[in-house]
Amino acid sequence: MSLNTGQSLTVSGQDLTKNGSSSRAPWEDARTVLKPSTPTRKPKPPKPENAITIAVSARVLFTMEKEQQIYEQQGMEDYIKYQVEHETEPFSPGPAFSFVKALEAVNTQLRELYPESEELFDVVLMTNNHANVGLRLINTINHHQLFIERFCMTGGNSPIGYLKAYHANLYLSADPIKVREALEEGIAAATMFTPEKIMEVSETQLRVAFDGDAVLFSDESERIYKAHGLDKFFEHEKAHENKPLDHGPLKCFLEALGKLQKKFYAKGQRMDCPIRTYLVTARSAASSGTRALKTLRSWGLEIDEALFLAGAPKGPMLEKIRPHIFFDDQMFHVEGAAEMGTVACHVPYGIAQRVTKRGIWDKDTSSAPK
Amino acid sequence: MVSTVQNTDVKQKESDHAVVVAVASRAVFEPEAQGGDNVYAEGVAFPLLQALQKVNERLLEENSAESLLFDIVLITTDSQQQQQSSHLISSTKHYGLEVSRFCFSTEEDFIESLLQNNVQLFLSTDRNEVSQTSQKGVLSALLDEYTTSCPSEQLRVLFCRDAVIRPDTNPTPASRQAAQSFSAQLGKMRQRFGMSDSPLSIALMTSCGGRDSCGGALRTLRSLGISVDEAYCLAGSPRGPILSVLRPHFVLSDCFSGLED
Repeated sequence: MSLNTGQSLTVSGQDLTKNGSSSRAPWEDARTVLKPSTPTRKPKPPKPENAITIAVSARVLFTMEKEQQIYEQQGMEDYIKYQVEHETEPFSPGPAFSFVKALEAVNTQLRELYPESEELFDVVLMTNNHANVGLRLINTINHHQLFIERFCMTGGNSPIGYLKAYHANLYLSADPIKVREALEEGIAAATMFTPEKIMEVSETQLRVAFDGDAVLFSDESERIYKAHGLDKFFEHEKAHENKPLDHGPLKCFLEALGKLQKKFYAKGQRMDCPIRTYLVTARSAASSGTRALKTLRSWGLEIDEALFLAGAPKGPMLEKIRPHIFFDDQMFHVEGAAEMGTVACHVPYGIAQRVTKRGIWDKDTSSAPK
Repeated sequence: MVSTVQNTDVKQKESDHAVVVAVASRAVFEPEAQGGDNVYAEGVAFPLLQALQKVNERLLEENSAESLLFDIVLITTDSQQQQQSSHLISSTKHYGLEVSRFCFSTEEDFIESLLQNNVQLFLSTDRNEVSQTSQKGVLSALLDEYTTSCPSEQLRVLFCRDAVIRPDTNPTPASRQAAQSFSAQLGKMRQRFGMSDSPLSIALMTSCGGRDSCGGALRTLRSLGISVDEAYCLAGSPRGPILSVLRPHFVLSDCFSGLED
C-alpha cells in the first residue's frame, strides 16, 4: 500500500515523505500501516540527554567466537564473507545479553509507572565492525526481540568519539584497549568477560555489583595497601574515616542507577525495587569498611547491600547474589567471579594495573572487530 | 555565456568512464583572502579536493590503466570570479590540484554548463545553487560546516536516509536516477579497494528511523552495488554530535526516495 508519493510533509525540518514502509517503527511515519508481522507497537527511544545510555559492543552482546577465530586466522575479507554468508543466522547471546534484558525489564516497569518520562535506559550497540555485518546484527536483534534501535558500526574507526556524542554512561566491550581509551576520556567503561558456566539471573530485577576501591572509589587507599601493606592500610583508613574517598570511574554509573531507584521508591517500591545494587569489597566491616560507607553517604548515594569480605574470595558471595554484572579493577577477582558463573567486568583503572603480572590486556586485539 | 578551459597541467580523463564531479570554485578557494603571487587561499572544500585526488591516486596504484576515476571540474557560478579567471587557474596550478577543466558561467547558465560537461555530481556551499541543480536532474550536495574539518586522506561519503537536507524540494525522478547512477559508480570504485585502508569510505545514517529502517537502507544500497563501510542508526538522537565525529565530505539523500522496500 503506497501513501502520499511525491507529497512533501515537513515537521520541524524533517521530511516525512516516503512510501509507507511497514518495517519502520510507528513514530517514524505517523501514517505507516503496520503489517501483521509487526504486531507490537515499539516504544519510542528516549532522547540521549534524558536517558542512561549503555553502549555495548557486538562481541559482548552476542557470542561471536567462531567468527572471531576466522578473523584472527584468516583475516578481514574472509571474516566479512563468512558473516554475510550467514546473515540470516542469528548469533547466540553473549555475556552482556542478560544484563541488557534486565535493563529492558526495568524500562518496562518504569514506563508503566511514568509513561511520559524519558528517564530510561537506552542501549546502543557500539561496534567497530564493518557495516557488512550490520544486517546479521540487525537480524539477530530482531530474533532475540531486543529493544536496541540505535547503533554505531564504525567500520574500523575508534568508537570513542561516538561514545561521547551519545553521552554514554557506561561502555562495555571485549576489547581492553578501547575500554582504557574510554576511561581516559572520562567514560565509565569495563572489559567484559564470558563466564565459564551459565548462572541463572533474575528476569525482573536488575542486579549490579561493584567492587569499592578503584571502581566506585579512587585507588588512593589501594596505593597505600600496595606500598605499605595491610596494617598500614587499616591504620590509614581508620585515621581518615571521616574524609570521603575520591570518586572512581564507576561512581557516576551508580549515581545514575540511584536516580532510577528513587523513582521506584517514590511509587512505594522500595522493598521490591526492580534495581538492586551491591558493594562487594575486600575491605572489612570492622575497620576499613566504615570509610567506604561514609564516603557513599557523603555523596548522597545509597547502596542496597554492602558485603565486606575482609579479603575472602568474591566468587562464592557473587554466586549467592547473582548479579547481572560485576565490576572489579583486579583481574584476580574478575577471573574468580567468572569461574563461578558471574558476568564479571574488568575496570582497568588505578594502581592494580601496574602491579599485577598478568598481561591479559597486552594481547593485541585493537584491530579486531568488536 | 559558458566557456570551458582545460587545465594543461593535468592529464584529461576518459570521458566515458570517468565520474565527473563539479565543485563550485567559491568553495575551493577564498577569493577575498589572497596569498602572495595573486594566489587564492584555501577554501572549505580544499580537503574534499585532496580526498578526491587521493582516491584517484590509489585507484591508479591498484591499476595503472584504471579509467573509473574522478574527473574534477571547477565551476564558477558568478561573474565576479569569472573576471578573475586567470587567478583561479594559476591558484589551481599553484596548489597542484587535479582539476581537469574550468567552467566559467553566470548564475543563469551554470546549470547548462553542468549538463554540457556531463557532470554527475555538483558540490557547492550555496544552498540555492544546490537546490536549483537538483531540480534540473543533476545530483548535487551541499558543502557545509563539516566539510572543512574533513580529512584529506580519505573521501568520506554519507548516505542519509530520512533526513532531507533540503526540505523545500522533492527529488525529481531525474535526480533520483542521477543519484543511483552516481552511487553505483561510487560502489564500483569502492570495490577496487579492500575492507581496510580504503581511500574511500561509504557511510550510511538513518536519522529518525530505527534498526529496521537502517536494515532496509543497507539492502537498498546493496542492491545498487554499494557496499557500506560504516552504519549509524540514530533513531531520533541529534545528528550534529554524530556528524561532527563522522565528518563526511558530503551527504547524499536522493537515492532512497521511491526505493522503499
